[in-house]
Amino acid sequence: MTIITDALTYLAYILIFPGFLFCFLSGMLLCGIDRKLVARMQKRVGPPVLQPFYDFFKLLGKETIVPAAANKTVFLMAPLVGLAAQVVLQLFIPVFSFHAFRGVADVIVVLYLLLIPALSVILGAASSGSPYAGVGLSREMVTVLAVELPLVLVLLAVAKTVGNALGTGLCFSLTDIVRCQMENGSLITRLSMIPAAVAMLLIIPGETGSHPFDAAEAETEICEGMLAEYSGAPLAVYKLSHAVKLLTMTTLFTALFLGGIGGGVQQLVSGLAPSLAGGIAIVLEIIILFLLSVVLVAVTVSFTHAVTARLRIEQLFKFYWTVVTGLAAISVVLAWYGL
Amino acid sequence: MFKQLITESMSKSPWLFHINAGSCNGCDIEIVAVLTPRYDAERLGFKLAGSPRQADIVLVTGPVTKQSLPRVLRAISQVPEPRVIVTMGSCPQSGNVFRGSYSVAGPLSKYVDVDVDIAGCAPKPEAVIDGLAKAMGILAEKRAAMYKKDGKKAPAEPVQEVIAEEAPAAQAEVPVEAAQEGGEQ
Ligand code: SF4
Repeated sequence: MTIITDALTYLAYILIFPGFLFCFLSGMLLCGIDRKLVARMQKRVGPPVLQPFYDFFKLLGKETIVPAAANKTVFLMAPLVGLAAQVVLQLFIPVFSFHAFRGVADVIVVLYLLLIPALSVILGAASSGSPYAGVGLSREMVTVLAVELPLVLVLLAVAKTVGNALGTGLCFSLTDIVRCQMENGSLITRLSMIPAAVAMLLIIPGETGSHPFDAAEAETEICEGMLAEYSGAPLAVYKLSHAVKLLTMTTLFTALFLGGIGGGVQQLVSGLAPSLAGGIAIVLEIIILFLLSVVLVAVTVSFTHAVTARLRIEQLFKFYWTVVTGLAAISVVLAWYGL
Repeated sequence: MFKQLITESMSKSPWLFHINAGSCNGCDIEIVAVLTPRYDAERLGFKLAGSPRQADIVLVTGPVTKQSLPRVLRAISQVPEPRVIVTMGSCPQSGNVFRGSYSVAGPLSKYVDVDVDIAGCAPKPEAVIDGLAKAMGILAEKRAAMYKKDGKKAPAEPVQEVIAEEAPAAQAEVPVEAAQEGGEQ
């Protein structure tokens, strides 16, 4: 009996919350809010907030062209693999007190899973046999490399700080990281963590390939780069996994640096309505998580999109390996000295 | 219901692919004007697509020169169905000031079925938005028709055949027309 209920619970996790349905709705909504915000910042009216949904369904209704030079299986499967990895990734990120899966070292799993969507785009592009995709994928590889180093350092700094607080050396469990913050206050309130938080904010646009760091998908110079040959449903899946990536990166930031807000929510709810605490708290936490994601997207993705121009790939690389890595390294050093 | 959702989305998210077929650049600049804060075509869901494979509406500017003709037709044939072809400016409709030139193979309607013509030299941004709005409606209609017919028609072949047949004919015709129209322009 317990096996069946367990299986059903996990199925619900995967399909509804925080899996596919939640990812689809909130990712697309985030994407739409981002486009609207960029438009408003440029004094335009902008598309409706639901625009990404329209785009998605329209693409599903279009003809899918597979180029003659492409490897059909890889070309069509790559987007699905990327989307699946992206959703699995979301399952590992706790929503304050709620978590679908937990492990001893899920930070490491998250690090690996973050690579898979990028790799799937690269794979799909490489199999499409287009020279534009070739240029795009080489740029994407550089972007992934550039972002990876500071990201690892940020995670290391967080792991060390939380590990110090819990007395376990390094703590690589996202659930523990969030729980520790709910008890002791958010990590962003510590001086030593502020450089890492800023680095993480700068990593978000790079990881999601948004404006100043979108050399890999430069539509004006290399015809959308890696997506040059994609049309119809596979393109829709890519757009969806890009939208989910926005959600993932911002919720990851919340889990790493703003986890303390969850503690506040719990106190508030148990103070107001102790009998219903569990149910209300989770709903409130989801809403707060989404609002935080919106704010983070507004600051990191929309604002930078509106005020910057595209960087060349070597400028991007230099920026990440000097400025961002430097910021993250400061935090690591401070964390190691127990500050 | 799902099918209906798709058909409805068709008219709400048209992505443009712009082909310059020897335009004087006047029309191209007007396209940029349409995307500026003042006219902001993005509020209707328009987006400039970088690759023809992702486009729904093909916007052709310029008189379709002989050099550009095969490329224009190739690019159009790469746009997945349903697609709408819109000509912008008087050039692709009639040749405009370039009519009669030895290097012009237009008008575009000789080679492909054009759905919407936006006249003007260069058209006002309002006219462009109006034309594109019409194109959005046609796009949804085409999608509905496609769904009813069930089978998709092969898009690439007819277009390619026409290149081989008609291109030399166009060459022959042009001087005659040029003689007639010379004074008018
Ligand atoms: S219609 Fe006029 S503005 Fe447009 S390309 Fe032709 S000559 Fe130039």
